[in-house]
Amino acid sequence: MNRPHHGTIFLEDACVTALQAFPGHQYLLRLEAPQCAARATPGTFVHLQCAADIPMRRPLSIMNADPATGTIELLFKVVGIGLRALAHTTPGARLSVLGPIGRGFEPDPARPRAVLIGGGVGMPPLRFLATRLATGGAWRPIAFFGSEVPFPFRPARAATALHGIDHRIDASDPLLESLGVPSRLASLATFDGCYRGYVTALAAEWLAALHAAERNDVAIYACGPAAMLQAAAAVARDFGLPAAVCLEEHMACGVGGCAGCVVPVATPDGPAMKRVCVDGPVFDARAVYPEIFAGA
Amino acid sequence: MLLTGCVGFGEEYTRVAGFSNRDAGAIVLKGTTLAPRLGNPVHRVCETPAGMLNAIGLQNPGVDVVVKQILPTLDFTETRFIANACGSTIEEYAEVCRRFDDSPIDAIEINISCPNVKEGGVSFGNYPEVSGRVVAACRRATAKPLIAKLSPNQTDIQANASACIEAGANALAVVNTVMGMAIDVEARRPVLANVQGGLSGPAIRPIAVLKTWQVWQVAKRHGVPIIGQGGIVDARDALEFIIAGATAVGIGTALFYDPLACRKINAGIVEYLDRHRIGQLADLVGSLGTDSSPPQACA
Repeated sequence: MNRPHHGTIFLEDACVTALQAFPGHQYLLRLEAPQCAARATPGTFVHLQCAADIPMRRPLSIMNADPATGTIELLFKVVGIGLRALAHTTPGARLSVLGPIGRGFEPDPARPRAVLIGGGVGMPPLRFLATRLATGGAWRPIAFFGSEVPFPFRPARAATALHGIDHRIDASDPLLESLGVPSRLASLATFDGCYRGYVTALAAEWLAALHAAERNDVAIYACGPAAMLQAAAAVARDFGLPAAVCLEEHMACGVGGCAGCVVPVATPDGPAMKRVCVDGPVFDARAVYPEIFAGA
Repeated sequence: MLLTGCVGFGEEYTRVAGFSNRDAGAIVLKGTTLAPRLGNPVHRVCETPAGMLNAIGLQNPGVDVVVKQILPTLDFTETRFIANACGSTIEEYAEVCRRFDDSPIDAIEINISCPNVKEGGVSFGNYPEVSGRVVAACRRATAKPLIAKLSPNQTDIQANASACIEAGANALAVVNTVMGMAIDVEARRPVLANVQGGLSGPAIRPIAVLKTWQVWQVAKRHGVPIIGQGGIVDARDALEFIIAGATAVGIGTALFYDPLACRKINAGIVEYLDRHRIGQLADLVGSLGTDSSPPQACA
C-alpha cells in the first residue's frame, strides 16, 4: 500500500523547558519534543493540548526546531481560553504535542531572494524559514515583520543599510541579524526605528527599488492576519512575483480527518475546499486569492 | 469503531505514528452523497464546554469517486470499512446505497439526519415514518448490512428505532450529534458560518447513554445490535454504553483529544472484563440493573 504520509506525525508527551512572557500577552514556549524537532520544517505546526482540562488541541506554528537538542519553540499570543491556560504552564509541565503537521514552505531555489513577510504571530514560521535559509546554501533571504504590539524580542539596530529603505528605518530582528539575514520592522504604533505603516507597504518599497532583473530572483513567503496576506498577495501581483501564504483556521483533528479547517482554493478543475492542516498550511497565493490575481 | 466525519476516507489517521486501522473494529467513512459537495464555508468547527460543534456540510467527492478511486486504495484486511450514505431526497439515499452495493464496502450506515429538501430542510430522521421510508428505500437498493444512525433531536427515538428495524435496518447507531449553536458575543455573530452545528464530545454523553438504553428496549426484542456513540473518551465511558445495551461503541471527538485512544479503550474494556470475571463482551451488553431489575449475572 502506497502511504507516503504514513507515520509522519508524532504524538509526544513534551516537557515544557521554558516559557517567556513578552508585552502584548505574547509568550515564547520551548518544549522537548525530539521526534517533532527532528522532522519539523518551516511552515509546519504542532497541534497542542494547552491544559489537562482543555482537551481540544490548538494549532501553533513552529518558530524553531533543533534536532540536536530535541526542542521546538512556539510563539503565541493569548486568544481564547486555550492559550490563556497555556500562558500559565510552567517549566517541567508536560503537554501533549502532535506534530509536525502539514506541508511547509517549499522555497524555489531558482528564486534565491526569499522575501519573508510576517505579521504578529505570523512571524514564527518565517523566522524558522529565515534560520534554515541562512544556513543552507545560496539563499539571500530578507524579512519584513510587522506588529501592532511590542515585538516579542528587543529590536536590534540593523548593521547594513537596505537599498530603497530610509536609513532611519533600522529596527531589525536580532535573531535574523545574528544570522546575517537582513530584516526591517513595521508598525502603526510608534516604535523606535520601525517603519510607520503596513509591513506589506515596507516590503513593496524595498521591491520597488530593485532592478527588474533582480526581481526575477524574488519569491514572497507570507504569514499573518488575513488582511496582511491579501495585501502580500497584491504586492506579489503588482511586482509579478510568486507568493506562498501560510494560513490558519479553526481546527479539530489536525491530521486531515475532519475537514473542519478548510480554505476555498481555485484549482484547474474548479473551486475546491482544501484542508489547512494537511493540504497546507502553506498554499500558493494565486490559488487562495484568485480574485486578487485576476487579469494579472 | 471510528466514526464518520472524524477519520476522512479511512487513511488520514495513519499519518500519526503508532496509529493503526487494525486497532479499530471498523471505520465509518465520511458522509457520501450522489454528487460531489464542497461543504460549508468556515468556521466549520469550534470548541464548546466538554465538546465541540461542527458544521462541515457533507464535503465529499461524490459516491462514484469514493467507490472507484478511494475504496481501491483501502486495505480491507486491516479493518472493516463502512460507508456513510447521505441524501437530500429518499431517491438519493437509495442511489448512493445502490452504488456502494457493488463495492467491497462491508456495510452502509444511513445518515438519516440529513435535511429533506422536499420538506423544507427538516431532517428525515426527526420522524419515524420518514426514517422508515429512507431505510426501506436503501434496503431495496442493497444487500449490504444497513446501519440506521438515529438522531437525538427528536421526540420519540424508540418509535424511530422500531420504524428503522421494521424497514430492514440490521443495526442502529445511537446517537448522532445534538444540534447546537455558539455565539461570538463581541461580534454578535454565530461562531459557525452555518449558524448551527452538531454538538459532540463528553458534553452529550449522558444524552447518548440514555438514548442507547431507550433504543435497547426496542432493539433487543428484534435481536438488532446497537453501536453506542456520543462523547466516549475512555474505557469507562464505553462500558456505560455497553451496559446500557450497545454491542459495539464508536469514538469520534476522542480521537481529536488522543489519536491513539482506540487502543487504550480496547485495553480498558478487556481489563474490566477480566476484573469482573466476565467471559465475553456479549454478556455485558444491556446488563444494566435498576431497582426493579438488578444487574444480570454476567458469567
